[in-house]
Amino acid sequence: MGQFILNRILSGIIVIFGISVFSFLLIHFIPGDPVKIMLGQNATPEAIKQLNENLGLDKPLLVQYTTYITNVLQGDFGTSLKTGRPVITEILDRFPETVKLAAAGIFIAIVIGITLGIIAARFKSSFIDSGVMMLATLGVSIPSFWLAILLIMVFSVKFTWFPIAEGTGLRDLVLPAVTIGVLASTMISRLTRNGMVETLSNDFIRTARAKGLEERIILFRHALRNVLIPVVTLIGLQMAALLGGTVIIEQVFNWPGLGTLAIGAISSRDFPLIQGTVLFMGVVYVMINILIDVIYGIIDPRIDLSAKEAR
Amino acid sequence: MANISKTLESLEMQTTLVKKQPSSLKLNFLKEIGSNKRARYSLFFLLLVILIGVFAPLLAPHDPEKPYYEALLHGPSKEHLLGTDSIGRDLLSRLLYGIRATLTAASIAVAITFTIGTFIGLISAYIGGIIDNILMRIMDVLLALPTIVLALAIVAILGPSLANAMIAVGFASIPGFARITRGAALTIKSSGFVEASRSIGSSHSWILLRQFLPNIGGVLLVYTTLFIGVAILDTAALSFIGLGAQPPTPEWGTMLAEGKNYIYQAWWLATFPGLAITSVVFSVNFLGDALRDMFDPKSMGR
Repeated sequence: MGQFILNRILSGIIVIFGISVFSFLLIHFIPGDPVKIMLGQNATPEAIKQLNENLGLDKPLLVQYTTYITNVLQGDFGTSLKTGRPVITEILDRFPETVKLAAAGIFIAIVIGITLGIIAARFKSSFIDSGVMMLATLGVSIPSFWLAILLIMVFSVKFTWFPIAEGTGLRDLVLPAVTIGVLASTMISRLTRNGMVETLSNDFIRTARAKGLEERIILFRHALRNVLIPVVTLIGLQMAALLGGTVIIEQVFNWPGLGTLAIGAISSRDFPLIQGTVLFMGVVYVMINILIDVIYGIIDPRIDLSAKEAR
Repeated sequence: MANISKTLESLEMQTTLVKKQPSSLKLNFLKEIGSNKRARYSLFFLLLVILIGVFAPLLAPHDPEKPYYEALLHGPSKEHLLGTDSIGRDLLSRLLYGIRATLTAASIAVAITFTIGTFIGLISAYIGGIIDNILMRIMDVLLALPTIVLALAIVAILGPSLANAMIAVGFASIPGFARITRGAALTIKSSGFVEASRSIGSSHSWILLRQFLPNIGGVLLVYTTLFIGVAILDTAALSFIGLGAQPPTPEWGTMLAEGKNYIYQAWWLATFPGLAITSVVFSVNFLGDALRDMFDPKSMGR
């Protein structure tokens, strides 16, 4: 177990190192003079020289990277060109809002996804089943931002139940969270349904039925438990992906999270901030992944964590 | 990295898919599609959409960029079937022309993903060893960022435009595609006939092009189709947030962004472009699912 966790952390560190190189190189991939692009048309030569020195762009790449990574390890992600505040402060200000949104969204996704999955499996091959699966395909086909707009048009404009893009209170949270939840539920419902259908065809279910157990008990006690492990993994992965993937939804609802921060940074070509958010999102994603793998191993004793071939 | 989400689905299909006879892929392919109701309907719809896009100048009732100042934000009427936007442009005409931007962007993005992704995946699986290790580590790093974030990062470098958005979306999907290709190719590698080919002196490129590609064709076809849907959604999303197609280009994502500002006065502006995107992506995904069932009998009816 300890060995497994250590291995996962080590490979995680390698990936994080890679992400740091990627985010560092971002600025060097820019065609033309990055400093001129960042400062815009009207930049004075002094300002350009100043920023070049500040960013250390005149030094060799390796030196630049070493400085960059040393600073990052000390929590210094640079300074936002636009606000003049430290990048890490900007990120940490916004991060809790994204976590809030992603958590609420995932909660809704779990409720909708597992319920629909169980219903579809219970009525396998009926019109209910194909209806739910059709909904799941629709869910991966609908643009998130359009669903968001539709919800706003119905629930904010027509019924005025929820405010539009005002603050970050509970009432403001509902629509963006529902948008995320509905979309994230599609994969959960698919996986739950397929898992349930497979489990329900097992011998022990037939035995349970033969014993005359209630269908409700068979569904929830016997079948669902077996399905939960892959579903929980999927949920964890979606949570991790959502922390960076709420970008578009945040933009529609004007939600002050990492997504709007990143888009704002890109629009104003604030490269230190872009680098910082990319690196931060990557690191969070890797850490959650490691956590999922470890939890996965703990809740499912069938997985031999020490086995190398398993990965 | 355990990228379980990306591999969850692909794992089970790779094993069964790959073992299908190569000949059945080529000869009976069209027949199979024709006999599958879902595939037939979605293909028909998509072809129709493509034709409408090609013949947009003939079909569109108005010039998509011509403002009718006497008809600002008019609702659907006889003159403007789907209404007009804030400067009086005809929404239906803009939608029809928008097919061009959307489908061009998606096909170029997918072409980038497919070419480079397949190349990396095949090389990685075929050569193996340290090359495989290095390539897959790089893919792991890129997979650690959500596709849309990776696309955003690329747009940040290149600057906002429709062309750059498609490049960004195309590149951002490469890691996922390369992993799928590699997984499928590995099962071919382990089957005996590649070794047999080598021993009778076949060249590497011959083996890759004539033995690997046709045999993993099914997997690649299914995933390419599904990636088209993703590419349409992602380029539209980039345009929606102002980092893709720029106004006044008629593009569905941009049109939705404009429509979002008039949700109180003009519901049609924020409704029809979304409906257009959804119906096209839906039929692409429907086709992808049908293809998956055809090439992966194991998952059928599940």
